[in-house]
Amino acid sequence: MAHAAVMEPPAAAEPGAGVYNEKLGMWVFLGSEVMFFTALIGSYIILRFGAPGEWARPGVVLNVPVTAFNTFLLICSSVSMVKAYAAVVDGDQQKFKMWLLLTIIAGASFVGVQAYEYTHLVHDGFLPSGIREGSELWEKVEAGTVPAATAGIYGSSFYIMTGFHGFHVTCGVVSMIWVYLKALRGGYSATDYRGVEVIGLYWHFVDLVWIILFTIVYLV
Amino acid sequence: MATTAATVGQVGHAGHVDDRSFLRKYIFSTDHKIIGIQFLIMSLVFLALGGTLAMMMRWQLGFPGQAMPGGTVLPETMAPGGVLLPEFYISLVTMHGTFMVFFAIMPLLVGVFGNFLIPLKIGAPDMAFPRLNMMSFWVAVSSGLIMLAGFWAEGGHAGAGWTAYAPLSEAPEYSGVSLGQQLWCLSLIVLGLSSMLGAVNYITTVINMRAPGMTWFRLPLSIWALFITAILVLLAIPILAGGAIMLLFDQTIGTHFFKPATGGQVLLWQHLFWFFGHPEVYILILPAMGMVSDIIANGSRKPIFGYESMVFAIMGIGFLGWIVWGHHMFQSGMNPTLGQTFMISTLFIAVPSAIKVFNWMGTMWRGSLHFHVPMLHAVAFVAMFVIGGLSGVFMASTPVDIYIHDTYFIVAHIHYVLFGGSLFALFAAITYWYPKMFGRMMNPFWGKVHFWLTFGFYNLTFFPMHQLGLQGHMRRIYDPTEYTFLQPLQPLNQFISIAAFLLFASQALFALNFILSWFTGAKADVNPWRDNALEWSVPSPPPHGNFAVTPTVYRGPYEYSSPETSDDYLPQDKRLPTDRMPASQPAGD
Amino acid sequence: MDDFAHRKQHPNYLLIWVYLFILTIVEVAVAFLSHIPRNLLLLALVFLAVWKAGLVGMYFMHLKFESNRLRILAVAPIPLAFILVLAVITEFRW
Repeated sequence: MAHAAVMEPPAAAEPGAGVYNEKLGMWVFLGSEVMFFTALIGSYIILRFGAPGEWARPGVVLNVPVTAFNTFLLICSSVSMVKAYAAVVDGDQQKFKMWLLLTIIAGASFVGVQAYEYTHLVHDGFLPSGIREGSELWEKVEAGTVPAATAGIYGSSFYIMTGFHGFHVTCGVVSMIWVYLKALRGGYSATDYRGVEVIGLYWHFVDLVWIILFTIVYLV
Repeated sequence: MATTAATVGQVGHAGHVDDRSFLRKYIFSTDHKIIGIQFLIMSLVFLALGGTLAMMMRWQLGFPGQAMPGGTVLPETMAPGGVLLPEFYISLVTMHGTFMVFFAIMPLLVGVFGNFLIPLKIGAPDMAFPRLNMMSFWVAVSSGLIMLAGFWAEGGHAGAGWTAYAPLSEAPEYSGVSLGQQLWCLSLIVLGLSSMLGAVNYITTVINMRAPGMTWFRLPLSIWALFITAILVLLAIPILAGGAIMLLFDQTIGTHFFKPATGGQVLLWQHLFWFFGHPEVYILILPAMGMVSDIIANGSRKPIFGYESMVFAIMGIGFLGWIVWGHHMFQSGMNPTLGQTFMISTLFIAVPSAIKVFNWMGTMWRGSLHFHVPMLHAVAFVAMFVIGGLSGVFMASTPVDIYIHDTYFIVAHIHYVLFGGSLFALFAAITYWYPKMFGRMMNPFWGKVHFWLTFGFYNLTFFPMHQLGLQGHMRRIYDPTEYTFLQPLQPLNQFISIAAFLLFASQALFALNFILSWFTGAKADVNPWRDNALEWSVPSPPPHGNFAVTPTVYRGPYEYSSPETSDDYLPQDKRLPTDRMPASQPAGD
Repeated sequence: MDDFAHRKQHPNYLLIWVYLFILTIVEVAVAFLSHIPRNLLLLALVFLAVWKAGLVGMYFMHLKFESNRLRILAVAPIPLAFILVLAVITEFRW
């Protein structure tokens, strides 16, 4: 099926980006998101690898196996998102809605696991302001496996990066629920699937940021 | 080339009846023209507020420790007996800068003229995302309200300068301010969101919605400038947002990003801030330069000299602007070798600006000069910008900056480029596009009186500041007479203050002209300035949807005094027998 | 564009998913090989992360099949990110 006119670049116009407005707009917006995460992740890189002082090794404070599973979950959600996109492009409404629902569930689960991780970390004494005195992790500080000098910025960086990423995931889940509800009303078809493609781009971006984050926060 | 004389408010897109409610048409409007005017009203209010704060500062500097006339209306926490407290003074400094940069100049250039001009000048019916556009305005208003709320905060408003350096901005133990500084951060984070939405809209619209024949190199320079500016906004503002969030967290939830004692880095704030801050100043000048180009070509009845080099200069400024930020930090204790690289890149950035200045002069050379009010302001812009740019070259040189950093030499520079530059360009632009916005002309006589008074008092206010700075007068200080070496300069300080008061008073003429012309100004034609761009072929003001028929563009916007026509101007969408249709013409035209 | 041709044009998403899965396992394994010199470890991990990110960008976000223009637009902010981080690191390591 040929695309509806709305899925082509604006009709009476000079050639521009070659894609419809909403898609161009999302790519432009993602450019700003790259810069936003650069501020947060870049600061972490500067504080950790620029400034002197050892930071805690991987696995000492953070739960790598659970987060590795969470990473896998998010990657799966990216696959289900693109399968949903492929289905709507091919005109398969049933598969489209099924894959989209799976994406929402996987995305919401990611947030759930993160929330679970946060509550455990806080319980163990890991806060944005550092390690809580007298907590379980405080013993590791005293033992030297968590350097005291950098525990403060370790907590600060960790929570701001993963927190804002989590916030972006949450916004993505909410948006996808909105798209799903619209899909249930027959709002998308093989001739007009703009909203699906656009939310897909956002979702893949959020996954991409996590791939970077997981590596440089949990594994390094 | 058909232009239906659609009556305002009655007819919408291509002949549909416009039956939107008052609320939808003027308050929660998605029409880029209305949103532009909304930004105009908001920004002019903040401009007046920022100016008022400056008057209070100038009172204290000119007449230190004396009771300010009318000062007794202020509460005891700010000015007991009308004498400004040092804590209040520093928040005045901070808020003057903050309001002027973020809530006056930036929204005036980008929010007003970006919104109003882009769809009209490229031949589009509206922005790519009209509802996002509306949100952008209301989010900006919310941000402004948050910033205003800080005046009522306990401990006073933010007092760490508009640059909010850590560790001063980190904690009340350093600045005496707690909630005020937090509100400052929060407000800018919210404003960032507004700017982002605007940038996405502008970029998408310019790339994708240009009318057939409106190729990239037929765009007016105002649009090129707004486009590159939008890219700067898109990529720089998130850095400010990130940094402000980190600062806010340091202030509220105990993080340590900028706290040296617990592993943070104070200079990290400065790097983040200025990585945003330098592109920000180009955001504050590029649209002004673009609009001045349009106006100077019009007032000279000549094509812009070197159109393509103007475009490349705008791109050059936009690109180089990313790699010069360290020149704000020469005295911060930064790595000196890094400082060297910034000195070199900063000296380079003077080149594209100079190219633009020569091209403006080349445009005027042997032109048929018409000094209408916008032209007066535009020519003054060029002269003032040159002065501001030249002082910038001094500052770019790191060894010289050792002496003049944080002195009034810098204040002079800032105000020559921002007031002499951006604000004069805004006076030009507001006067020029007022007829298109409101359907009336501003009064030209009072416009000229306002121009000359402003020009005179402005130079008397700010030029002597170069001298103050060279003699060691520091920025942001409360009482210059505290220092014996500054005491001989006090008469100059007084002189500047009096000039400033007269400058501020002269602005009443502009305000009155602006407000009264709306009611009693001469009714404007479709094209009162005999300009070529597309907005001058639709009614003043244009109907919802702008063009009854999508225009077709045959040439650039600067074909003044063209041999191809007997008029001294040749509109972009006027088809001559010798013109070919563009490849992308709309069907059925 | 007829739908048959379009259907044939979908990349093999499941295969990409397998690659991503394998790369993630390799990454986690590499991270716990503590006897590698730290710099080499960092390089390997970043390389693997970038590879994964590239796969998501190219195949899931369809950049591989888009125009040059859109690809340039997508990657344009990345040099700026590098400039900021590298310049500020020189504050500490020069």
